[in-house]
Amino acid sequence: MKHASNGRAVTRRQAIKRMSALGAGAAAVTAGGPRAFAQPKAPITLSFWTFDNPQQRPWIHKRVNQYMEKNPNVKVDFQWFTFADLGKKVSVGYATGTAPDGFVTGDWLMPTWLARNLIAPLDVKLLGYSSLDAFRKDHADAFVAGAMKDGQAYGYPLWFYGFCNYLNTKQFKEVGLDPVKDQPKTWTELGEVAKRLTIKQGNKFTRQGFKFAMHAAQWTMIQFNPIVSQVGGQWFDASGRCTINNEAGVKAMTIRASLARQYGAEDPADSIATFPLPQMDWLKERCAMFSCHPIPPAAIKSQNPVMESEGYFLPVQMAGVTPDKRYTTCYGFNLVVNARVPKAKQEALHDMYRFVMSDLVDCWEATAPFTLARKSGWTDDPRVKSFPHVQEIIKAKDNGVFFPRTPIWAELADAMHRAVQKVMLNNADIKTALDEAAAEVDRATAEFKKS
Amino acid sequence: MRRRAAVSAALAWTGLLPLAVLTFLFMLPIVWMTTTSFQAGEKMFQLTTEWIPSVWHPENYPNALSRSAFPRFFLNSAIVSASVMLGNLIFCTLAGYGLAKYRFRGDRLLLLVILSTLMLPLEVTLVPTFLVIHTLGWVDSYQGLAGPLLIDAFGVFLMRQFMLKIPSDYVEAARIDGAGELRILWSIIIPQCRAALAVLALFSFRDSWDQFLWPLVVVSRDEFRTYPLGLVRFGDDYGNPPTEQMAIAVLATIPIFLLFLLLQRALRKGFDLSALKG
Amino acid sequence: MISYRWRIRLWGMAFVAPTIAYFLVFKYGPMLWAMGLSFTSYDMMKPPRWVGLENYASIVRDPIFRAALLNTLVYIAGSTVFITLMALGLALAINTRGRGRRVCMSGMFLTNIMPILAVCLVWRFLFHPHGLVNQLLRPLGFGRIDWLTDSTLAMPAIILVTVWRFAPYFMVVFLAGLLAIPPEYYEAAEIDGADVLRRFRHLTLPLLMPVTFFVVVVAALLSARIFLMPYIITGGGPGNATRVLSMLIYETGFSYMKMGRAAAISVVLFAIVMVLTVVQMKLFTRGEEDYA
Repeated sequence: MKHASNGRAVTRRQAIKRMSALGAGAAAVTAGGPRAFAQPKAPITLSFWTFDNPQQRPWIHKRVNQYMEKNPNVKVDFQWFTFADLGKKVSVGYATGTAPDGFVTGDWLMPTWLARNLIAPLDVKLLGYSSLDAFRKDHADAFVAGAMKDGQAYGYPLWFYGFCNYLNTKQFKEVGLDPVKDQPKTWTELGEVAKRLTIKQGNKFTRQGFKFAMHAAQWTMIQFNPIVSQVGGQWFDASGRCTINNEAGVKAMTIRASLARQYGAEDPADSIATFPLPQMDWLKERCAMFSCHPIPPAAIKSQNPVMESEGYFLPVQMAGVTPDKRYTTCYGFNLVVNARVPKAKQEALHDMYRFVMSDLVDCWEATAPFTLARKSGWTDDPRVKSFPHVQEIIKAKDNGVFFPRTPIWAELADAMHRAVQKVMLNNADIKTALDEAAAEVDRATAEFKKS
Repeated sequence: MRRRAAVSAALAWTGLLPLAVLTFLFMLPIVWMTTTSFQAGEKMFQLTTEWIPSVWHPENYPNALSRSAFPRFFLNSAIVSASVMLGNLIFCTLAGYGLAKYRFRGDRLLLLVILSTLMLPLEVTLVPTFLVIHTLGWVDSYQGLAGPLLIDAFGVFLMRQFMLKIPSDYVEAARIDGAGELRILWSIIIPQCRAALAVLALFSFRDSWDQFLWPLVVVSRDEFRTYPLGLVRFGDDYGNPPTEQMAIAVLATIPIFLLFLLLQRALRKGFDLSALKG
Repeated sequence: MISYRWRIRLWGMAFVAPTIAYFLVFKYGPMLWAMGLSFTSYDMMKPPRWVGLENYASIVRDPIFRAALLNTLVYIAGSTVFITLMALGLALAINTRGRGRRVCMSGMFLTNIMPILAVCLVWRFLFHPHGLVNQLLRPLGFGRIDWLTDSTLAMPAIILVTVWRFAPYFMVVFLAGLLAIPPEYYEAAEIDGADVLRRFRHLTLPLLMPVTFFVVVVAALLSARIFLMPYIITGGGPGNATRVLSMLIYETGFSYMKMGRAAAISVVLFAIVMVLTVVQMKLFTRGEEDYA
């Protein structure tokens, strides 16, 4: 960022800024469309935090740097932390007055921030939309429902995606199955196909037919949530009591456990998944099918270069209780603004966010196949359309269901994670495990209500 | 008589073999870590361990160092840990000596009070400690990183226990000869505590070197980041081969190991009689 | 004119004073704040709200807290006992004359200086059902053992890793203590006709008391506080099998953002450790007056 010592140069730059601000007006935000950046004149420093991801973080960083080049009076302190640590840093930051001005948050945490009034409502006009309605229509419905409260939008969505069933097509063909035609559509089919794909030596699995990742509570929720929805279950009833232990919940958990218990196609204790690479078992071809978010080619290449270069994998829709209910959980990340910072900084952040989000095809090129929440500005581009299997991935995003929106998200996820562990690893009775989980969630709800 | 001799002989002989086996078993994880650091990225999680890599990849080391500002992170860790080590050496010795040799009623109670600083886990005192550091203006600084670790109750306790065994007669004799208290400490007590001082130096350096939770809270800028923060962030990025993460881990053990080798002589010296006879 | 006695006492206080002053600012202040917090409801983003003993009542009713409490007691007991025994044994073995002793000591000490993240990654891998530990045990007749996913084995596995990590640490401390025993004492005892076992029981052990006291207390304190290791290796699982209080405190404070409740749990932990330390103090320092 340059501070010109030559007075004339500064004046010229300011003049150009004023002219473009006058000439542009509120522009529609489309790729290649005219851009208007209402530029704050005084020097301004912003702090912005995000989580680390090999594709996503460098792209945001690049866009922020580009923004700083275009707006020399703005200095952004860009910091990133691990996925798990970002939430803690932000919380401690709020507690001690050192929270960032803007940050990226997972949408499952929106209720947590909103319940405590920590994020500011967004002025969608500064983001380039003519009205709140235009904003709402441009984004996937349920995602917006999570980002909006009392008629205001609180998050500007970035990435948003669902899970797919990633098949190892080479292994399918080995046992005489066609990955496209024989892809499992129902849970029963999934169990049977998985059974055919399983190879065992004694009590050791050489290849598991299908695997659910069990390394983190977040993933447990992502995987279990759609099953609950598919069987018509509910996380909470109208009074806020947890109903995961009702008949539908038990049915959902039975389905979840069926791969191991009923079909013998999965060994929950045998996994080499790690936090950065939960799909390790699938990448190392220790399982033939795996439920996962969109996997970037670079991730596949890092652990299995042959699979990447020969392309013997295929994402398909996850199984459903019936073939028309093959949906998964959708979740994503929002750009938010700290409610406790002054107006001037908030406006500057809006401006920066608008710029960052103004070239989504560039985003796709850098971070594919992570899909974006916004509908406009990228899906029709040939560079997007030509990406392998992109239609399945977009379909998973469009059809997905959302997490239960609750301020006790962390307690809920941990309770379910424990329940799944008890069922899958300790062979616990499903109803008992769910009863315990529901009790834990109810306790947490009661605690939260008191605070 | 013969039985006792046999037992003595047996104890002496059986010492080495089980010890060697035990050492080997203890070191297995380290050996695994080291050989993995030379492996290709995709060979990390093979369950049939390849103890000697078929293809060596020493480039993992410079690659890993260049992916994040690791040289800077290591430098920061070194500066902070060296300061913490010095702080502990000075103040724990003083305090330990005070508790060991100057007996007064309630000195054991005072020891308990000092030990109590270790009984509340760091997670709970994290926020208020951060507020103290924030008030002092030490966020994102070396003082902030080293401050809460500068004097550790472990160190005070350690020095006290070692100094207890030094007979007070020497101290009394020196006092009668007219030596000042500080001189007594420096010339008489400290030479006899070489082993304890070595242990204290080693452990205080090591505890600071490995700290993760505190630096996570107090630092947000790369210029003050310590290597554990870099390592965790590095590991979370699936673009970085996990074998390079092992390379960083191996590098991280080197400074402490060097310190350990350096202090080994002091550990062996232990009780130095000549200082007393003089 | 200050008496000789008082002058000595003042020097003693002067030596301890800087440490106390430091602790007041950096330790006792935050500790008291944290303890006070246990009587409030605090989510870090709004100011704390007084709730009296509600946090304590709530955790006592919570089955997860009770499970974590039990796990913590088991963990502290198991770790402390085995760390102390193994550290003492190792130190004695290394202290004998003979080749290769120092190499063994250096080698074992390496286990303690491995970065914690690497330790957790490596052990998670070693304990895999088809991992190295099981591979080594198979010739001994053991079948497949699910170390980290069997709720009865997970805690022993964590204790094993803890002992592995800290026994060498304390071995060095015991060694320093052994080396501080003047060799003339041993020579005198040998001349008197005492054999190895006798020398150990009547000479070594008593002289090692202060160091043993240190090891037992510190090992207990460490195992009460440790949470990163079990957290990364098993995450508290399966179920609640390895959830210890320090982990519960971290989750309650930083994942669920209930700092007041977390503070209450840590006060309970504090009380446990305090009681333990006092008991150990009574056991080990009966003879301390002899050293004055």
